Amino acid sequence: MAQRITIDPITRIEGHLRIDVEVENNAVSNAWASCTMWRGIEKILRGRDPRDAWLFTQRFCGVCTTVHAMASVRAVEDALKVEVPLNAQYIRNLILIAHALHDHIVHFYQLSALDWVDILQIPKADPAATQKLAESISPWTRNSRNEFKAAQDRVNAVASSGQLGIFMNGYWGHPAMHLSPEVNLLAFTHYVQALEYQRKALQVVGILGSKTPHIQNLTVGGVANAIDLDSASALNMDRLEMIRVLLEDVVKFINEVYFVDVCAVAAMYPEWFKIGSGVRNYLAVPDLPLDSAGTSYDLPGGYIMDGNIAGVHTFKTASDQIFRDSVTEDVTHAYYQGKPLHPWSGETEPEFTGWNGDQKYSWVKAPRFNGQPMQVGPLAQVLVGYAQGHPLTQKYANLALGKVQAIGGVRATPEMLHSTLGRHAARAIRASMLAELAQKHLQLLTDNIARGDTSVFNQPVFPSHEVEGVGTHEAPRGTLSHWVVIKDEKIKNYQAVVPSTWNASPRDASGAHGPYEASLLHTPLARPEEPLEVLRTVHSFDPCMACACHAFDPQGRQIAKAKIL
Amino acid sequence: MRKVVIGGIGNVLLGDDGVGPYVAQLLTSRYEFEEGVEVLDLGTPALDLIDQLSGKDVVILVDSVQTDAAPGTVLLYRKEEIMRLRPAMRMDPHSPALVDALFSADLFGVAPGSLLLVGIVAETYDTTCSLSKPVEASLGKVIAEILGELDRCSIGYRLRAVPAIFGAWWATEEHSEARMPVTAA
Repeated sequence: MAQRITIDPITRIEGHLRIDVEVENNAVSNAWASCTMWRGIEKILRGRDPRDAWLFTQRFCGVCTTVHAMASVRAVEDALKVEVPLNAQYIRNLILIAHALHDHIVHFYQLSALDWVDILQIPKADPAATQKLAESISPWTRNSRNEFKAAQDRVNAVASSGQLGIFMNGYWGHPAMHLSPEVNLLAFTHYVQALEYQRKALQVVGILGSKTPHIQNLTVGGVANAIDLDSASALNMDRLEMIRVLLEDVVKFINEVYFVDVCAVAAMYPEWFKIGSGVRNYLAVPDLPLDSAGTSYDLPGGYIMDGNIAGVHTFKTASDQIFRDSVTEDVTHAYYQGKPLHPWSGETEPEFTGWNGDQKYSWVKAPRFNGQPMQVGPLAQVLVGYAQGHPLTQKYANLALGKVQAIGGVRATPEMLHSTLGRHAARAIRASMLAELAQKHLQLLTDNIARGDTSVFNQPVFPSHEVEGVGTHEAPRGTLSHWVVIKDEKIKNYQAVVPSTWNASPRDASGAHGPYEASLLHTPLARPEEPLEVLRTVHSFDPCMACACHAFDPQGRQIAKAKIL
Repeated sequence: MRKVVIGGIGNVLLGDDGVGPYVAQLLTSRYEFEEGVEVLDLGTPALDLIDQLSGKDVVILVDSVQTDAAPGTVLLYRKEEIMRLRPAMRMDPHSPALVDALFSADLFGVAPGSLLLVGIVAETYDTTCSLSKPVEASLGKVIAEILGELDRCSIGYRLRAVPAIFGAWWATEEHSEARMPVTAA
């Protein structure tokens, strides 16, 4: 008889991810992913000036602010057919990269590392042995005995106080945790250090975007940054130099710490390269444009069906006709009325029925590509790039596989990336790619300015007839697309198809699972009442329900517990 | 120079949840503060809230609150009370917000010296850029509480002779600056 487990971290009003699984013989036999709240934020855009849309979309989500701002200006630019000056492309690219680096570091260390790292093992670690281990895998100069000792002391202080504080909710001592005390200490120390480097990445966003968390420098047709190398108030040599110095530190942390830690954890949990694959259809859009018209990119896009790497399809542009024509949203199992619709004609009429796993059970629609569920995110991007022979992707993917093999003594192949650990590895691979590209795009910007080009903006012109546009961005969580219909200089319709909608999608009319759901099937659970393994796989996608509302709940009702029904 | 943050938290597209950012814009427009004081519209931060809290001497946050009290009621919470709550299970990056950010900052040894959360009980979280009447009516009291905290900490501020630009670009006409209280209630 199947056991039903619900992981529902909410009672506060934010929209949240809820996972339900059925467990038979200590393995997941069925799964449902649902979002518990949705608010139709897109409706607020109807009737507004398309040039202001990005200000509003930037408020969809406090984690993905710049991401929604960028997709929005691109959608309007696509509709109005306005090109973006080179400087503006580079500045936007740098903001997107810096934001993504921040996001990837936060995801690994703050959100998911403690799925693999057992805090309560740390007091047993030997800091000197930890240093020796660390030096054998990375040149990071802060892998010192003193730093390890200091981090261990912090954990000891928390543990001995009897107040676990931030660690209150962990599944410590779980049988699926099996790192040595030294590796636990190593990862925890980097969790502490990560704070400094994620902040530096955000500072880059702040310098170029003039503020964080909400950037101010975007405009349809370019950016609002004044470029003048001799002016103290404009983007000048000093500011470019500040960015260069900040990036240097962030790049070092990505390559010598984050990338290595992911490979080390992966090498020590090789069984997780066989768990959590799920949907093997992958979708990624090209990003980081290298010219004004958007005809060449530093990140490749395309799609892969059924895990057929050799049969990869390529998107030539970020608003490729195939992409434009192939996306629909199915609402069979979502709390909305209607039939599968293209986003330009998308409707959002709610029909709340309460959770019913056989019928409607989520506020997330089910986006489909040619009718198929697609996995999006760093894994999709890395596989699409790898399959196309993209040199930068191949460089870091091969480096990661080699590192896993060297540390763990296990054979590591690209095929293993279809897995829970594959998603973490791909995110680290992508982070290293982006780190290299950050420095490249800063140089491109600097060189272009040095050539005397200070142009940052092309004036958009509204046509008299109705126009449609799609703006895409390969965001930290995967393919994001904003779809806009403009009439009489006003927004007639607006839909955002966000990465977590692809991944957290419910079943569609044919009953096909979304990626979260499919990835959980067959996952072994050591202790069903402590479903750590479910969290590992769900976290590997980097879920983010883009419908955040933020009330503080003083009763602390946000206590999240897995509940067995 | 002391490092002080006054931060408005919330989603400006979701009714009364926007009260925090709204108050931040109101303060910026009407008051000048001593050096070292930052007034920030923080939106709906996740763990990056740690960056805003860490290493600060005084933090004042404004956020909507979900309780059974009447809408518009202003409630105050100190750091110690907030840290008696449990951290969230981390399902997505929004889960670890204020409580977790404080715990993390504390673990890393960078928690702010003092923290006051000025909470306003919301009436509605509907998709709108407007504040409800009860929340709008509470704004004077909210500002008074913030200024009172600055007084308690001997942090200087003064009313601007001429208001600066009101930055709440999202606000609907009914919440344009003209109808807002000029000084604290």
